[in-house]
Formats: sequence, C-alpha cells, structure tokens
Amino acid sequence: MLSDLLDESLVQLNVEASDWEDAIRKATAPLVANGKVTEGYVDDIIKGVHELGPYIVITEHVALPHARPESGALESAVGIVTLKNPVEFGSEDNDPVKYLFPLSAKDNDSHLSALQSLVELLSDPDFFTKLDACKDAKEVVDLVHAKERGM
Amino acid sequence: MDRKYHALVCCRAGMGSSMMLKIKCDQVIKEDNLPIETEHGNLDSIIGFRGDLVITMIDLTEELSQDPRVPSAIGIKNLVDKNEIREKLHAWLDEHKGEEPRR
Repeated sequence: MLSDLLDESLVQLNVEASDWEDAIRKATAPLVANGKVTEGYVDDIIKGVHELGPYIVITEHVALPHARPESGALESAVGIVTLKNPVEFGSEDNDPVKYLFPLSAKDNDSHLSALQSLVELLSDPDFFTKLDACKDAKEVVDLVHAKERGM
Repeated sequence: MDRKYHALVCCRAGMGSSMMLKIKCDQVIKEDNLPIETEHGNLDSIIGFRGDLVITMIDLTEELSQDPRVPSAIGIKNLVDKNEIREKLHAWLDEHKGEEPRR
C-alpha cells in the first residue's frame, strides 16, 4: 500500500523552489533526514536529469524524482510535495512542475502495490483538486488513505 | 496469432517510472487483448534484450533510438494517458503486421 510508505514527515506544501534542482533537493530533504535515502541518492537523481533530460516528469505538472536503488535507497518511501510557484524542468509536454513525488524503492518488485496505487492517484484529477485544497501534511496523508480505500 | 511480441519497459533506475509505465501498458494490452508481453528493467537491461520493442518515457527515447541494440522504440509523453499508450501500441502493431516475434 502507498499509505505504508508515506507519512506526514515526508509531506511538504507550498515549498518555494528557485529551479528544478532546488525543487528536487527540497522535496527529497525529508527522505534524507528520515534515513530513507542517502545524499548520494539525491545527487544521482540530479545527475540523471542532467544526463538524460527530464524523464522523471511523467505527466502534466508532476515529477517523480527517483534514482537507481543501489545509488542509496535505504528504506522504501514516497513523499508528496507541492510547490508554491511551479518550476520548469525542460519537459516539452509536461512543464511546469507543481507536484513532486520523491520515491525510494529498495528493489524492483516488492512495492508493486504501492506503485499501482500511485499510478492510479496520478490518473485521478480529483486527487489533485483535493491535494490543492489540503492545508497541512495530515490532510494529505488522510486524502491518500481515503483514495486508497476507494480503489 | 499465438506468439506474442516482447516489450521491455525501462527507465534509468529500473523501478518507479518504468514499473508505473508497465502497469499502464499492461492495462491497455489487457483491455484491447494485444499480442504483446511486457517486462521491465533499467537501461542496462537493453544489453541482452532479445525482444521486439522498447517502451520508455519520451525523453529517453531519442537516446535509445540511436542504440543499435534497440530494435524499435516507443516514447510516451504522459504516463497516465491510456489513450496515448493505446494509440502508440496499435500504431506499432500495424507497422509490424505480418512480422514474426523475434523469440
């Protein structure tokens, strides 16, 4: 379940970011602070975008910052971050990015059900409408729980 | 046709976006009963891949198209847009009509 990988400490609303790199660093900071990933993992996310382009921007206004598990994923986790002012990642189709879902997965297959929930959430416009209306981290976690129960 | 085409769904990390893209592709393949089987992996999985098709997010496709080991590549712009995935898979199948799967 996605809810198992998410907790309030990984949620941040209305973050101010100056550019895409700053957005990734700020979005992933709680994952580093909570021992979910290493600093090297964050560096590898940024390196990937520099080398290969904004392929982590997977749908309109949404980025899924993640890197290879072996670059420093310590515990599986997902965060939810909204930006105060959306930033450009250089994605022709999906810029600007307002929502980031930083992801740490220890291996390929064990978190399939969490990723299944996440992809359903990202397919649901009502999720984003309600996310925009959330006032704090607890409301976001409650929203994900409620959505998962309805799937 | 009894035999199915094999598609590798991949991203740089081999988890996360590639897994989510595979989930979406599998939904379309099942709904439309397409003769395609998917597996997922990272960019290194291309080494040794003996299938017919590679599916990635579009920003990776340009790089992959230049790789001689990649038989054929589809790039997806919007991971959650089943219509885009549906159109591109059908177009690929039309283009390869009559061709035998490589394995």
